[in-house]
Amino acid sequence: MKSFWQTPQGRRVFGVLVLFGISSAAYAESVPAPTIDTRFAVGDTKEVPDFQKHVIPLMGKLGCNGRSCHGSFQGRGDFQLSLFGYDFAADHEALLARGTGRVDTSDIDESLILAKPSDADLHEGGKRFDQGSWQYNVLRRWIASGAAYKESSIQELDRLQIIPDEIQFKSDGQQVSLKVVAHWEDGSAEDVTPLCRFSSNDDVIAAVTENGLVQSGDSGDTHIVVSYDKAVVPIPVIRPIVTPATKQGSVARSTPTKPIDRLIDQKLQKLGIVASDRCTDEEFVRRVSLDITGVLPASDRVESFLQDNASDKRERYIDELLDSPAYGAWWATRMSDWTGNSAEQLNNVLPVRNVSNKLWFKWLQKRLDENMPYDEIVSGIVTASTREEGESYLDYCREMTEICNGDLDRYAERRSLPLFWARRNFQKPEERAIGFAYAFLGVRIECAQCHKHPFDQWSKQDFDDFAQLFTTVRASNANVVSPQSKELRDELNAKLTDGKELKGGELRKAIQKASQNGKVVPFGELFVTKRSLTERQKRQRELARKKGRKPPPARIPAGKILGENDEFELSQDPRPALMQWLRDESNPYFAKALVNRVWGNYFGIGIVDPTDDMNLANPPSNAALLDHLASEFMRHDFDLKWLHREIVTSDAYQRSAETNATNINDRANFSHHLPRRLPAEVVFDMVMLATGSTKQANELRTELDQMAIADGQGRTRNNSSFALEVFGQSIRETNCDCDRSDSPSLLQAIYLRNDAEMHERIANRDGWVSEICRQLELDAPQSGTDKMSSRERQDDKLRLSVLSRVKQYNRMPPARQEKMLQTAEKQYVRIAERLGDRYEVPSLESLIKDPTCWPSLVTKNVDELIGDDKSKPSLDDVIRQAYLRTLSRYPNADETEIATQYINESDSPTKGLEGLMWALVNTKEFIISH
Amino acid sequence: MKFHQTCDGVSRRDLLKIGSLSIGGLTMAGYDRLAAAGQVKSGFADRAIFIELPGGPSHLDTFDPKPNAPDTHRGAFKPISTNVPGIQICEHLPKIAGCMDKIALLRGVSHTLAAHRLGQEYVNTGSKPTPALEYPSYGSVLAKEQPADPDIPSAVAIPKAGHGSGFLGIRYSSLETNSQPNFGRPYGVRGISLPGDLAVDEVQRRQTLLRKLDRKFAELEKNDQLLEGLDQFGEQAYSMITSERARNAFDISNEPQSFAKQFGEDSFGQSCMLALRLVESGVRFVTVQLGGWDTHADNFSRLKDGQLPKLDAGLSGLLNGLEQRGLLQQTAVFVTGEFGRTPKINTRSSEGGRDHYPRCMFMLMAGGGVRGGQVIGESDDTASGPRHEAITPDDVAASFYHNLGVDPTLEFNSTTGRPITLVRDGSIVQQLFS
Repeated sequence: MKSFWQTPQGRRVFGVLVLFGISSAAYAESVPAPTIDTRFAVGDTKEVPDFQKHVIPLMGKLGCNGRSCHGSFQGRGDFQLSLFGYDFAADHEALLARGTGRVDTSDIDESLILAKPSDADLHEGGKRFDQGSWQYNVLRRWIASGAAYKESSIQELDRLQIIPDEIQFKSDGQQVSLKVVAHWEDGSAEDVTPLCRFSSNDDVIAAVTENGLVQSGDSGDTHIVVSYDKAVVPIPVIRPIVTPATKQGSVARSTPTKPIDRLIDQKLQKLGIVASDRCTDEEFVRRVSLDITGVLPASDRVESFLQDNASDKRERYIDELLDSPAYGAWWATRMSDWTGNSAEQLNNVLPVRNVSNKLWFKWLQKRLDENMPYDEIVSGIVTASTREEGESYLDYCREMTEICNGDLDRYAERRSLPLFWARRNFQKPEERAIGFAYAFLGVRIECAQCHKHPFDQWSKQDFDDFAQLFTTVRASNANVVSPQSKELRDELNAKLTDGKELKGGELRKAIQKASQNGKVVPFGELFVTKRSLTERQKRQRELARKKGRKPPPARIPAGKILGENDEFELSQDPRPALMQWLRDESNPYFAKALVNRVWGNYFGIGIVDPTDDMNLANPPSNAALLDHLASEFMRHDFDLKWLHREIVTSDAYQRSAETNATNINDRANFSHHLPRRLPAEVVFDMVMLATGSTKQANELRTELDQMAIADGQGRTRNNSSFALEVFGQSIRETNCDCDRSDSPSLLQAIYLRNDAEMHERIANRDGWVSEICRQLELDAPQSGTDKMSSRERQDDKLRLSVLSRVKQYNRMPPARQEKMLQTAEKQYVRIAERLGDRYEVPSLESLIKDPTCWPSLVTKNVDELIGDDKSKPSLDDVIRQAYLRTLSRYPNADETEIATQYINESDSPTKGLEGLMWALVNTKEFIISH
Repeated sequence: MKFHQTCDGVSRRDLLKIGSLSIGGLTMAGYDRLAAAGQVKSGFADRAIFIELPGGPSHLDTFDPKPNAPDTHRGAFKPISTNVPGIQICEHLPKIAGCMDKIALLRGVSHTLAAHRLGQEYVNTGSKPTPALEYPSYGSVLAKEQPADPDIPSAVAIPKAGHGSGFLGIRYSSLETNSQPNFGRPYGVRGISLPGDLAVDEVQRRQTLLRKLDRKFAELEKNDQLLEGLDQFGEQAYSMITSERARNAFDISNEPQSFAKQFGEDSFGQSCMLALRLVESGVRFVTVQLGGWDTHADNFSRLKDGQLPKLDAGLSGLLNGLEQRGLLQQTAVFVTGEFGRTPKINTRSSEGGRDHYPRCMFMLMAGGGVRGGQVIGESDDTASGPRHEAITPDDVAASFYHNLGVDPTLEFNSTTGRPITLVRDGSIVQQLFS
């Protein structure tokens, strides 16, 4: 059976129980004992109910501690219980509060917890039970026995056993009664069925009554969730699909070979689902390119793939994609989502504006490119420091000033990513606990911030202990440095401000300006304040000792790693221990969270879905599959490319979107490809690639830095692309994978059909339509010719950036110039190469001599631009090209005919081509993965 | 599954996968029969404006003042009289006080969901959120039941909608403008107007071509909400961009300044005016949001200097404007937050704040068949709960639908034949219409 207790300790205990406990006398004796409703059917029983095991669960079952009743933060009728229980001391205190009469051991029957819930008129929450009912008797007997609760008697629930632990329905109207046995740490066990809360994750497939009676519904699979004490246990319920084909057993099944496929197949067999066939090569080449790299494949690559006859061409193409720079770029974008790389939240973290989120991206990109193991990447974030080993504060500031003033790539060379810790929404310990759990554990623990998590095992205490770990790490805006660096920082500031006392925004402006002028400016630091006895505490103790008094108690603050029992004293940096726990093979979340998110990217739905909501009540659709992938990922030393390859080479990934009678309604079991709208950045780039000229598209694909998937488009609130916003790029602010949206909308349709940006792209003189018109010696498209194209604007920005760097260089003292010359040359060459194809570019030497010698971009001769190939393509060729560059496939005969006719009937062939390109980027086929 | 057994603890997961639900026939028979027998009046309004106040406005400091409550509860504001004798509201809502005769004020509305998202879903749908399926927002239901002409969106949200289309599917979701209009400036939703060099017949030709070429998923479409939604949005986008009407409706700079001024010059007020223009040109349902009500700290200065003047000008401008244009009879107006706020003032900030409080809140109704100038329901001495029987969001939703001629007991069928009632537990508040 699946144990609810996911921690390894729990598993070990469970193992022991299975070996000894269940076969032991304790089990045999206690389980057949009647359940509490029988034991307390009459009021005169001698048994004393236990506060933890009986009284609180009963109040939970009755709804007393629910959110709208006494569990609400305001309480109800001045009576407040801890929401969803598990704060025994507080609840006991509330029940016995003096003068309230809630529990009155001297006049038992007048106790309000008996009188009110049994009388609808008295109790605003209505009648919850009858006088003399077993519920009444339990509460009454507890009061009569003294209404006791001892903190020392609180026991850990080892395991909540549900019988049966899995349900298979076959027909309508079937019923199964669940029986729930609680196994406590002292070896005792009790049938607690009447005290459990039951709920169904989908009551269309299986409904459950408050007594645990499960009733069959439609075919499909879901879970019944049982809650008691700390435990939340999901029980799978399956009702297979029966079609004429499956009935006769006439469906041929090929035996899958890969472990992934075997595990998926096992589930599908249980469900009676027949998976869809393998997708076509055309579908594959497009799907896998977009999923691995976020980039639409180039026409010629599509053609060469389709013409390749080798049996291993899919595997080879996958390798090619994983080795391409776009892989690192796209996954750095995805990982930026999960780690919360938000320009807004990083505001003022660095003294130079609008670079922090780019640095973050580049840091991730380099590591993904190099396929650094996932745990090592995370280690660079979790155990981040601002200074490299042996780096002085001044060297650090100098290096960072240079990086922020244009040499962004150098940031990726640094060991760690302290920016993660400095975000505005990652300052308070509780924000960090929530953000950390979201980013690296795929768990939402925020509920437990205030009360017992309703769908998970976390209590408020667990949350507080975990949050405590984050209290000693300091990192925020650029002005915050460690005590040791304060003096140096102040000196730097004094130099920049000519000794003037500036504060806040004024100071930031002065620093920003100074950095632009190439001066070294102070940067903030991440540092850990070690919690030991403070100087004051030490002095107090010394004083007390001298005066012969008892020294005041001093305890070093400590926290706990989530789900661990041992305290971690904050006399040292907790982050190495935290990192060690993350990458430990017994960690129940770290590997799973990543594996599940990557899976979600490829299938449009996680094995646990939503992908960032792993909790006990939200079990994986295929637990064996998730376990397998996570453990293999760890066995392969967190090798990300291994993981990607393992997933995309599977049959499951390569299935067609065509469905059959058995899998038409399946969305959670990977039996067919789920069409989904492509992510915002991918759509944005696809439009540019599809509408741009061959040359422009090739440049975009090789350079990457203008592409949205590679962080090439603005991300701040005031400078973000409208299209990216409309298509739902992640805002990376709320610790939720739902910050990214992939739903379609009317506004998206309007954008693609009629936004000025779209018309401009299609008619642009750097666009594909213009390219074809030149080849065919047709008129260029009308609109967009008179103003500067976006391409030209970007090119002009490059020109200006060269000039500003040259000017900056000219201002440097000669010694510094010597040191910087090589870097400057490198930067110049990179940009000159890009601009050189199209414009006249002056040499670096002449620019240094006279930066004013390049006042604007001068275009080279137009003939040079079109290239050598002047042979005119046929209309069929053109239509084929249009299809390949948008839909990554050849048009069929009908489509060619429709397009030909359209172009011929247009006012001009140019208009016809524009219309064709417009139509193709507006097809559903263009915007979705298939 | 019995929900009343546990007051709460309902998990928010969209467990009933949207893809597996399609809408079968509607059973209107019961309602029609009653309507024919004269037991229910048919709808009064044929369009609606829903003003959502996300964050949860304090009821005590707006429409349910308690001048005699103790210091710990009362708050800093005084009540003022309105143009309806006997009805008093907060002193910082003087313009609304001047058109109280158009408003039915519901006090002591009560529910149990104290979380923003759940509360918002509740007041946007009229059904308590359940884990098994997501109910549709009012706008989505109207978009389905009484769609607008094809060249104009059925439902628009300025700038966003508080809740989606739930089990009805994404094609019935509101057009979100993503931006708000500014006073005196031209406004348009990007992409609505055609560029100068593109003639309408050229766009028509392109659309015809697109329809012919976009056939690859014709088979899958019937069973896939995503594909179906994309198709629907595409067709609608086409209708809208080729229509003068939609473009004009959005451009608030067409209004004379004297008219525009009565709405207030901030973006909420101008959004209210945009809402008026939109319903005037045939949009069925407009959502306008005014956020910033989550006043856990500094409750009074935030309300006095920020939210109240905006609401005061925007809402009064809207009601007066609707009347001036002769639209009030046809337009159902509904104003609500997701909950009220704690009657007891917390002391976490210097001037105090109020926290989430679903047990007692206010809602406003106007337009259509609603009789204005009345208070329905009542809260207790400290506005801590309804004094008598509680009005629920379900009841108000049922009444709102009723005002729009939509049967609140409408049944939708899932593919499996499982019936889903539009408003599960609500009954029409008859007093609204009497």
